[in-house]
Amino acid sequence: MFKKNWLSRVGIMVIAALMVEAISVVQYRSLKEIMEQDMNIRSRIALGASADRIGHVLELTEATMNENMLDIRRSLLRPDSIFRAIQYTIDDNPHVINGCIAFVPNYYRSRGYYFEPTVFKSGEDFIYKQLGGPSHDYTINPAYRRAVDSKESYWSDPYPYNIGQEQVSLITYTCPLIDENGILAGAVGLDMDVSWLGDTLNNRQKNTSSFLLLLTGDGMLVAAPSASQSSKADVEEAVNLIGQGKDISADKRLAIRKITMRREPYWQVAQVYYTDEVFAPIRKMRRQHMILIALGLAILFFMIDRFARSERKLREATAEQARIGGELSVARDIQQEMLPKVFSPNIYGTVVPAREVGGDIFDFYERDGKLFFCIGDVSGKGVPAAMLMSVVHSLFRTFSSRIESPAFIVREMNSQICRGNDSHMFVTCLLGCLDLYTGKLEYCNAGHDKPFMLTSSASVIPVKSNLPLGCFPDIEFEEESCSLTPGTSIFLYTDGLTEAKNVNKQMFGRTRVKEVLDSCLAKPDATPEAMVNSLLDAANEFMGKAPQSDDLTMLLFKFQPGELVRDQITLTNETEEIEKLGVFIKEYCKSLGLDNKIVSGIRLALEESVVNVINYAYPEHEKGYVTIYADSNRKEVRFTIVDSGIPFDPKAVLSADTTLDVQNRPIGGLGVHLTRKLMDSISYCRKDGKNVLSLTKSIV
Amino acid sequence: MKTTIQETDQRIVAILSGELDTAAAQETEQALQPLLDSKGKDVVIDCTELEYIASSGLRILLSILKQAKSVGSRVILKNVNDVIRDVLELTGFVSIFEFE
Repeated sequence: MFKKNWLSRVGIMVIAALMVEAISVVQYRSLKEIMEQDMNIRSRIALGASADRIGHVLELTEATMNENMLDIRRSLLRPDSIFRAIQYTIDDNPHVINGCIAFVPNYYRSRGYYFEPTVFKSGEDFIYKQLGGPSHDYTINPAYRRAVDSKESYWSDPYPYNIGQEQVSLITYTCPLIDENGILAGAVGLDMDVSWLGDTLNNRQKNTSSFLLLLTGDGMLVAAPSASQSSKADVEEAVNLIGQGKDISADKRLAIRKITMRREPYWQVAQVYYTDEVFAPIRKMRRQHMILIALGLAILFFMIDRFARSERKLREATAEQARIGGELSVARDIQQEMLPKVFSPNIYGTVVPAREVGGDIFDFYERDGKLFFCIGDVSGKGVPAAMLMSVVHSLFRTFSSRIESPAFIVREMNSQICRGNDSHMFVTCLLGCLDLYTGKLEYCNAGHDKPFMLTSSASVIPVKSNLPLGCFPDIEFEEESCSLTPGTSIFLYTDGLTEAKNVNKQMFGRTRVKEVLDSCLAKPDATPEAMVNSLLDAANEFMGKAPQSDDLTMLLFKFQPGELVRDQITLTNETEEIEKLGVFIKEYCKSLGLDNKIVSGIRLALEESVVNVINYAYPEHEKGYVTIYADSNRKEVRFTIVDSGIPFDPKAVLSADTTLDVQNRPIGGLGVHLTRKLMDSISYCRKDGKNVLSLTKSIV
Repeated sequence: MKTTIQETDQRIVAILSGELDTAAAQETEQALQPLLDSKGKDVVIDCTELEYIASSGLRILLSILKQAKSVGSRVILKNVNDVIRDVLELTGFVSIFEFE
């Protein structure tokens, strides 16, 4: 994972570096192109100027020739004056060091076949020499031939020449010589020293290593800067390149720009650049760019790294949150599963947790014609509260399934919750039991909000507070009771309702609850569900945009027994009384329209239970009573057998073994077994010094 | 509750009629005393007219059966109605009595 991230980060860096490098290269290229164009323009200007200068120098020599031609022509008449004419000519021009006239053979018969008077400059002096002769056949000289044959002036290519110890480079300007008679006399040649041209051309090449070269049209070097100004090897390389028509060396070290003169002798002026030097500024710029880019990339890498780390942390945190969220969602489902979801028309309840899971609880169920209910609020909210809420729920279910008395149930729950309650959490709880036949409501409060009783209007029931569950293990909880008339409802809630706050921190309050309930009661046939929803709507409307701060739970049930069939009989503890019981049962069952088989079963179960009381509840010869209450809503029938005898729980008696053979069968012990088999449920409690045994059977 | 006993060479037949509840049990037990001395004869309890039986009644039947078994007699319940058969089934008596 780490390696992968690292690799991807390096990958991003490489891509970024490549992109920046590409930009840099493109920039460098275009800058170079601009510089090259600029160089071309500047070269052309410089080269043009140089060519002009050279042209000018040559023009001076040509002018010298032209200006003296008349004198030379005149001197032909007197051959002895020819040397002087030549001397005057070359003296006119400091660059011309020699002058000569190569006469056509036998022009002066007196002077012989070859005649070439020549004058050499030697410092301030002039030396006269006749050079023509068989050993110096000037007639084969191309300059001579051109001047004589085509009668055109001609500039020669340069050639080396020694003046004393010094070797110089000379060029010769040759013109045809026509005498006064219009006859071709020969050719006049002026030798010009061009050794100085190299330095003169280059004297403007300051602050740079580039240099100018002058070459003939054939690429022969005419003039080059002196060795102090440029390397001889570079000059040679440049001459070679020009000879090959190239403008850049193979190693791109040297670049060459050149132009050709627009006049005779059509020489080439070339400028030789060192590319390193030319492009040094942009190379330097590029180096600076590279450093900046490297710095930028380092910063970028650092930022990416930081970003990646924080992003990973965020992702991990998000995943963790999602996981917790998922678990909370499951926890919420589990919690919701625990709560009753199926409601009969006479009861309705709801929990609205402030968070995913809540610490509120409500529960109810029917057993033996009694509605056991509870509502509770665990201190705190969220997961810890929810966990304790689950415990409270299962404790309620466990204890209420075998204990009738709400106070006893509460006491047992309290002692369990106190056990190991190191986190000092507590639970307010109101728990009760409504006899669905008699309307007798028994309840026990453990620090919970006082419920409302709803008749024609809503009123708070002044229940005793007691302490919440979980505070102290051995405290007593007082049980209270009241009788509900048919149509009366009980409304239970948690403080999430009364303490629901709006944005101004005002509380919903009990007064508003009463108002809503009263307005509901004013309507005919307001169902428990409609009333709870009205309260919920009112609370939500009141809270507005304020967040729900606590779990909100409501439970509302109505005592609506419907059509009841009830009867009762009291017997004394004498066996003969059983006959009365049989008659009572048969008549009662007949009023319910039950068939003979069910009646016999019920009668047998009742008889066995009542016989137990008659035989064993009271001491011998002591008169006692047993009362049987029969209640039915036509769905089930419930018989409650009440006596004041010694405590006896028939449920605690072991069932008879009905598989034993004749010899091993005990004579007794069948009664309780039969009762269990014949009825749907049996419950026993000891209340107010009395045994209360309930037998219930469905008759639908 | 009415109890009638008819004795022949092979059998002692007890005809039970009415409801055998706890109140009637003591009297019925007295009436059925001759069945405890069956002398090897088969004991037939005719339940045709027996409408109801409580566990005290079952106890009497069990006493008769135990006594009869000890002397090698059979005890046969005759014409048991559905209500009583249910009770006999609930108590497992169907497996220890013979029926006719």
